[in-house]
Amino acid sequence: MDSVVLLQRQLVDYTAQLFNEGFLDDQFNQLQQLQDESNPDFVVEVVTLFFEDSERLLNELAKALEQQSIDYRKIDAHVHQLKGSSSSIGAQRVQKVCIAFRNYCEERNIEGCQKCLQQVKNEYSLVKTKLETLFKLEQQVLSAGGSIPWPM
Amino acid sequence: MCKRLVQMMQGNIWISLNPLGSAQSMTLVLRFQNRPSYGRATFAPGSSSEQPSSNPQFRGLRVILADDDALNRAVTKKLLEKLGCEVTAVSSGFECLSALSSAENSVRLVVLDIQMPEMDGFEVATRIRKVRSRSWPLIIAVTASAEDNVWERCLQMGMNGMIRKPVLLQGMADELQRVLPRKSFEGRHSAS
Repeated sequence: MDSVVLLQRQLVDYTAQLFNEGFLDDQFNQLQQLQDESNPDFVVEVVTLFFEDSERLLNELAKALEQQSIDYRKIDAHVHQLKGSSSSIGAQRVQKVCIAFRNYCEERNIEGCQKCLQQVKNEYSLVKTKLETLFKLEQQVLSAGGSIPWPM
Repeated sequence: MCKRLVQMMQGNIWISLNPLGSAQSMTLVLRFQNRPSYGRATFAPGSSSEQPSSNPQFRGLRVILADDDALNRAVTKKLLEKLGCEVTAVSSGFECLSALSSAENSVRLVVLDIQMPEMDGFEVATRIRKVRSRSWPLIIAVTASAEDNVWERCLQMGMNGMIRKPVLLQGMADELQRVLPRKSFEGRHSAS
């Protein structure tokens, strides 16, 4: 079978998996729709922004939860931001943990918050790996002379 | 005089009298024309065969976008550009106000994130409406809130539309369609 078709099939299957497992939601499709010839790297750029943002926020959250006196408003502000950006790119599982996180903040439940921080770190790390893999697969298709069959 | 106006609008107005002959209630009937629905292409989730891109009605529409979050700003900006708009993106309420005053009357629409630190969207809208008419520029609020009374608050502050996050292409197109007057938006419009 043509190698381009094989690579495309791989990409399609992998993408479907990410949607099925809830790592990505329809918002990610939205981003793909915004990408065009005038901005061919739009999705990668936005996702990179997401990575940078998230890493900064996760560091801030870890610091905030280590304080003697916890500033729940600050934590909530950070989680709100993380929730917003994960929602904007379609990182559904990260977004879901943020919702729970904010509830624990409101209850001033330190254990709940710490648990959520762990969870959100895990989910972030997972979606980051998956997106990086996705982009690699896309690159392979493009390098082999194929085009990305979006939507998948 | 009310009667004349209402009849010009092809409606009717009358006063009901109580048994004693004095006015008890007034009834007003107005007819509104249904706006033609936006030619909606089948927009099944994931289908991009027909997008609301480069809708002629939005082409060249000058917009100021204010959002403090870099990621959201990048996405919403691209989305508006996809709809044909010319977008100036700023990251705070202050920048928004100053961009608006230097643009004089050429900006037709302001898209405003409500939840901005320092100066939130409500305050920006209030300040804009202090010096500009209610229809120029138009203001659309972007909010993450799911509360029912956000829309009322938006209206009170002089906004014309509202869209909930996450912002979708179709959602933005629909709201733009709804708030823009049917006639062309081009040309200068003196603030009334």
